[in-house]
Amino acid sequence: MAAAHEHWQAQSEIYTLCALDGQELTDFEAHLAAGCPVCAADIRETREALGLLHRALAHMEPSASVKTRVLEQIEIEKIVPITTKPRTAQPRWQVITGTLAAGIAGLVIGGAFYRVYYEPRHRVSTAVVDLLRDPATRDQPLYGTGPTPAARGRFLWNESGEGHIFVNNLPAAPEGKIYAVWTIAKSSAPRFVGTVKTDTLGQGSLHINSPRSDQPVGTFAVTLEPAGTTTAPTGPIVLVSKPS
Amino acid sequence: MAMRMLKVRSDAEDLLQEVFVQVWRQAENYREEGGSPEAWIVNIARSRAIDKLRAIRRMEKRFVLTDDPAGSETADNVESTAAEFETKLTMNTALANLPDAHRKVLDLAYFDGLSQSEIAARLSEPLGTVKTRMRSAIQRLREMLGKRES
Repeated sequence: MAAAHEHWQAQSEIYTLCALDGQELTDFEAHLAAGCPVCAADIRETREALGLLHRALAHMEPSASVKTRVLEQIEIEKIVPITTKPRTAQPRWQVITGTLAAGIAGLVIGGAFYRVYYEPRHRVSTAVVDLLRDPATRDQPLYGTGPTPAARGRFLWNESGEGHIFVNNLPAAPEGKIYAVWTIAKSSAPRFVGTVKTDTLGQGSLHINSPRSDQPVGTFAVTLEPAGTTTAPTGPIVLVSKPS
Repeated sequence: MAMRMLKVRSDAEDLLQEVFVQVWRQAENYREEGGSPEAWIVNIARSRAIDKLRAIRRMEKRFVLTDDPAGSETADNVESTAAEFETKLTMNTALANLPDAHRKVLDLAYFDGLSQSEIAARLSEPLGTVKTRMRSAIQRLREMLGKRES
């Protein structure tokens, strides 16, 4: 019995470190679920010891905005249960002003879309020339992969967050899909920087103005995604750079 | 710790926000007999950070160009990993008392969120050796903690 439990105790320490994996993890979780008090106590003690490791690190202050964001989120959640009272009909003036506001917003957004979409090409060209003129700008080739091995592209990128992507030989995205463009810094999640559309010749381009990243971008990629995807890539990779 | 694990300030601050909100939501689930509040909060933070790190690693593997049309050499991460490792070893006295090999596996598991198999592959060591070092390091820490408290 004691020998058998020694096996579980060995697992419990590695489990607490979150390093147990594979079948051993499955078996140990089943053992824990069965309610082993010895392992539960062992995990607790190990967690206490490991919980002090962070004290060895240099203390860093988060920016003040974190506190504000936490308080705002908590405040919103506190309000949620109170709003469970029955809904009352909205006054007519609210509906009218709401419609007006939505209309104005629609006009503004529509105008912005028109301005961005039909922006004179020379303005984009000027921005690209400026990018090329900057010695800090990198020129990364993109290679077709997955469903589009023949596709090619170039990614001009400046760590200031400005860039431009050219793609060739990339068939137009199917209905309801987009080509999402991502920049990936080392040890960071991919960051969505825009979508690129291609014409009947398979050509397309996109000028990018994104916030500066903490880490230099190592990989550039384009994936085929359901329209509206901006959080994380889930679809096939159609173009990707070599990691730098 | 969030910054040490995730390395990017904005990601670390997002994590911090998630942890505080989770602590707020689940405060009633905290049980004193389950450990100190500090260990409870650190465990929440570390679990979330590891989830993020592992998701990023899965994503990084996905974005590696396996078939290199340009035919040139691929980036080698060995040097940067070694340099990062040096900076990681700024541990306190307790950690400094651990043998290097033990401290290394503890560091890779605790701060980089690597599993035992991933550490074995990273260090090209047998899995059994990694497990033994990991356990030994934890036991040493527990002993030191015990001495400190007594």
